[in-house]
Amino acid sequence: MNFHDHIDRSLDGQLSEAEWTALQQAVIADPELRREYVEKRWLHALLESESASLPALLEEPQWVKPATVFRPAAWITAAAALALFAGSGILFYQSRPAPVVATLIEAENCRWAGSDLPTVEGAGLSAGTLALTEGMATIRFKSGATVTLEAPSVLEVESAMKCRLVEGSVVADVPESAHGFTIDTAKMEVIDLGTKFGVTTTPLGDSNVFVFEGEVKVKRDDLPEAKHVFAGKSLVSKAGATPEQTDQEVRRVEAPATSPGPGWMAVTTATGRGRDAFLRRGDGHGPTGAHPLLMVKHTDLAPNNERRALLSFDLAGIDRSALRAAKLALKIEPSGLGFSSLVPDSRFALYGVIDPVAAAWSESDLLWKSAGSLVDEPLASGSATRLAEFEIRKGSPNRLIEVHSDAFVDFLRSHPDEIISLLIVRETGESDQQGLVHAFASKEHPASPAPTLWLQTADHP
Amino acid sequence: MEDSPHIPPVPATDPAEQYLVLLNEHERALAAYVHTLVPDRLDAEDILQSCKLTMWKQFSGFEPGTHFLAWARKIAFHQILNHRRGAKRKPLYSAEPAFLEAVAAEIDRVADSFSDRSEALHECLKRLPENQRRLVLLRYYEDHDIAAIARETDRTEAAVYKLLSRIRAALNDCVKSRLDSSAA
Repeated sequence: MNFHDHIDRSLDGQLSEAEWTALQQAVIADPELRREYVEKRWLHALLESESASLPALLEEPQWVKPATVFRPAAWITAAAALALFAGSGILFYQSRPAPVVATLIEAENCRWAGSDLPTVEGAGLSAGTLALTEGMATIRFKSGATVTLEAPSVLEVESAMKCRLVEGSVVADVPESAHGFTIDTAKMEVIDLGTKFGVTTTPLGDSNVFVFEGEVKVKRDDLPEAKHVFAGKSLVSKAGATPEQTDQEVRRVEAPATSPGPGWMAVTTATGRGRDAFLRRGDGHGPTGAHPLLMVKHTDLAPNNERRALLSFDLAGIDRSALRAAKLALKIEPSGLGFSSLVPDSRFALYGVIDPVAAAWSESDLLWKSAGSLVDEPLASGSATRLAEFEIRKGSPNRLIEVHSDAFVDFLRSHPDEIISLLIVRETGESDQQGLVHAFASKEHPASPAPTLWLQTADHP
Repeated sequence: MEDSPHIPPVPATDPAEQYLVLLNEHERALAAYVHTLVPDRLDAEDILQSCKLTMWKQFSGFEPGTHFLAWARKIAFHQILNHRRGAKRKPLYSAEPAFLEAVAAEIDRVADSFSDRSEALHECLKRLPENQRRLVLLRYYEDHDIAAIARETDRTEAAVYKLLSRIRAALNDCVKSRLDSSAA
């Protein structure tokens, strides 16, 4: 019989009465076992008899409950009791600096805002807030859980086992040792059950959880029971009364803020008969002309998530024969979909649409299935011509990017139609279906500049 | 005496003060002794309280300069036997007198080396990884049983038990190695 195990089990009340009796006999009979019993019991006894000092020793203030069971000693006079307990009390409840619960192990190309925690690589983090505006940062919690923060994100570190995602995206990799690691959001609480998973949340309060490996448990105030989410599955939590997307159209009138200098003129997709939208294979959301984001994604893993952006600029009245330079300005926006850590630096291609049928698209009814030559794979040279390439690096900031090339200028100069259409395609795939969906502000975006075509003509040297 | 919780540099003359000073010094070891012999935690705490009262009543019989802890252990052991006889409720694990004698004898044999363990344990607790600390707090501070901890941490009871055993084994190893190195 394994009495070593009996001893351990007796400490936790896991022994049957018969086993306890057998253990007692064995301890009486066997001096070696007796030695072991006393050693194990003694440790257990110390933990029991000094349990009041454990929270202070283990330095996790949020676990300290102020009211511990206190049994007044009936045997001693009040004055003596005062002296005795004052002595032992002071030992245990001194104030201490905030304990370090995590380490910032990687911070590449990071820019931080409003963080009350240190943001240099290798810094120890106590409870507090991290606000990442650019780049990607990785935090290892003392529990062993690793959380990669993708800009723009705001994360509150609470303890070695818990953090709170205020806004943005994180991917968590949680080893067995940190089982139970929790990421809290405004809408739900995601509890790890040994896994790799991602959480995104938007300022509106929508939260999504994606499980890459293993299993998580999701608790939501509006659900009576916790929900289990398994590998390959996701759970979307919409903020109560918020509509899925803004459907009122916001036409922008002001010119984009950043002018390249004198001699340049701006045409946006909001100008004249300009249009913008994105195509999504599967057409799950219907026409996207009124959407504030132009979403772009390439994937071989989930074909229905393939997305391309389409822009049309009204160049009526502009003498393009004298065009000297041109550039397309796009404002990168967080899509709230997917995780940039699962997509490498991404290459995009800009095409000029030649096919007149395809170029005559309408915002109100454009669908992937009706987009004709715009969704060919690869694009036929007779329907679209490749003008330029650009790259968006992993974790790069949501800034304004500019695309230009000689081929682009040539296309604008020579294309006969008053309205020219451009197609943006991502050429880099992803390592997981939950890879990032890139997005650019459309003309419906409430805060960011619409896609803008900057033109410089010879008249304005 | 009210204003000084510390051990005074000169021997105290007032018996109450003498008693408090000695008790303060040996209280942890005495508590560990009682908890080691009495598996039920609440019983152990009750016994410890009545033991302190009895010790105070019998303090005039204690010879200053002799081994206070040995004297205290003797009184505590009788308290444990008395408590066992007079117990109104039967604890989960009730210890046989022969078993208590054997274990008490073993403690007497090693007790002096064990009285240093409390300090070492504090150091070792500070070195535990975060998730293990949490389990220690749930088990010993919150006094939760295995089933409650399993619910709280989303583990099976078997997994909780295994992890607790591992933590205790690691703590024991750590305590032993600290004492070895400080002795060397």
